[in-house]
Amino acid sequence: MSMKLSLFEKRILAVSVVFAIFLSLPTPALGMHIMEGYLPIEYCVIWGVICIPFMVMGVIRLRKLSQDNPRILILLAMSGAFIFVISSLKIPSVTGSCSHMTGTGLSAVLFGPGITSILGLIVLIFQATLLAHGGLTSLGANAFSMAIAGPIIAWTLYRGFVMLRVNKLLAIGIAAALGDLLTYCVTSFQLALAYPSEVGGIMASALKFLAVFAPTQVPLAIVEGILTVLIIIGMQSFAAKEFKGTSFNFQEARQS
Amino acid sequence: MITAVLSTAVAFLLFFGKLPLPALIPLCIVLGVLIALLNRHHHDNTLSIDVLAQISRLNKVNPGLKLSALLIAMISCVASQTVFTGLFLLVVVCLLAVCAGGLSLHHYVRVLALPISFLMIGTLALLFAVSSEPLGLLSFNVFGFWLSVTPDTQATAALVVSRAMGAVSCLCLIGLTTPMSEIIGVLRRLHCPEVVIDLMYLIYRYLFILLSVHREMRDAAKSRLGFRNFRNNVRSTGMIYSSLLSRSYHFASRNYDAMESRCYSGGIVFLEHPAPIGAAQVVVAVCLVSACLGLCLSSFLLPTLLPY
Repeated sequence: MSMKLSLFEKRILAVSVVFAIFLSLPTPALGMHIMEGYLPIEYCVIWGVICIPFMVMGVIRLRKLSQDNPRILILLAMSGAFIFVISSLKIPSVTGSCSHMTGTGLSAVLFGPGITSILGLIVLIFQATLLAHGGLTSLGANAFSMAIAGPIIAWTLYRGFVMLRVNKLLAIGIAAALGDLLTYCVTSFQLALAYPSEVGGIMASALKFLAVFAPTQVPLAIVEGILTVLIIIGMQSFAAKEFKGTSFNFQEARQS
Repeated sequence: MITAVLSTAVAFLLFFGKLPLPALIPLCIVLGVLIALLNRHHHDNTLSIDVLAQISRLNKVNPGLKLSALLIAMISCVASQTVFTGLFLLVVVCLLAVCAGGLSLHHYVRVLALPISFLMIGTLALLFAVSSEPLGLLSFNVFGFWLSVTPDTQATAALVVSRAMGAVSCLCLIGLTTPMSEIIGVLRRLHCPEVVIDLMYLIYRYLFILLSVHREMRDAAKSRLGFRNFRNNVRSTGMIYSSLLSRSYHFASRNYDAMESRCYSGGIVFLEHPAPIGAAQVVVAVCLVSACLGLCLSSFLLPTLLPY
């Protein structure tokens, strides 16, 4: 059977593929979660194992915090619910597609990366079972990118900027945006490790995945930064009192 | 709509070169139309899976049995080297959800459509190999690079699609038949740390509060032209989120006061009534699990018998 296509047929195909990719742009922005079954089992296990020490650290911190101050548990639960809600709702996006925040940058700035890892894990489990978004076998990989790597970077950047006496709000914005961007880079890298390209290996494949998601994820990271700043500004004027237990100090933020 | 178009494109590229073109094109179009027809309505309900879980007939099944059977099926599907495990699960789980669970096919497809549209995009990325010269069955020149579909990428993509479809169906069946409180109950019996369990119960409860408050605020902003253009959109979204967060914190601290006045001192106890395990359920679960494990193992032991 000859599979040679005429030039016209090839063009039609090319147009249809471009059309499909273009149409698909709104959907990847739903979140950078690796879906159920997409990763081979060995990678699921490896990423899961990598996450364990962070989770253990998170549980230890969480237990200590909730023993010292039972009120904080309620506050944390509300923050977890908040992360779930904002990461499953649409936010404005430049390309006209719908996109969602990760929300973990905000939580990392407020509570630190240890607690954020647990909150992120719970949110991921809820998203998998309630929204069929993400997955249970890919939970480890998703937790690593969204609940561990992103928040740690956001937290480190925020602390670094604060030490350098950069304006706090600016620091929060940049930290949240870069945390989001890192989440997306880590996910692309995880996909590339599992599916290296035939020619060029892991790096070529990583570039491919980065390119597929870049048009939505880069503007999304910027919007996430802006929104995080807006949320913090709103919080300062409304609810500074409730935040006494958290590591974020509103008094300081107001003075800088 | 997007899911239908994407699935058509992916199906075309997957079987390109395996079936003659005159048969392939109508098949793909039929597939696309079918998905588009089954996936017509969209409701503005974020947690529709949770609602469906409450009314499913299968939520009477013991959650421990259900979860363990589906998780084993899911893992063996992801681990297997053949497309048949995934296809088997896709069909069986659909039958379980629709016939045994009493869910309408239309609802089921709608729940599956979202993850499947992700899957299709991911598959497009897997189907094309990037190289400096054209290879394989089909090649497109994009900005000096060649994107080509080769038999190897087709095989990988087919395996990934089938694994993901099977695993996603299991995930959806878990979500569609098990209310969240029962899932948390199972985790508690697995000795998940107490703090995390409490946190999960509370987060689950607060989700609904936040979602309804958010819906009110969004409608209020919408009726005042709050999402008119991009600038306004970002501004209103920021305002909504910050007042959502601050309101939720006020609520949380009131909630804490209420709990404290009822002798809360850390640690929340929830009552559970796990359903008894029935004989028929065990038989179905054992059949499902052994079929999946059998397919998975045979894909390792008899690689020549099973294509892909």
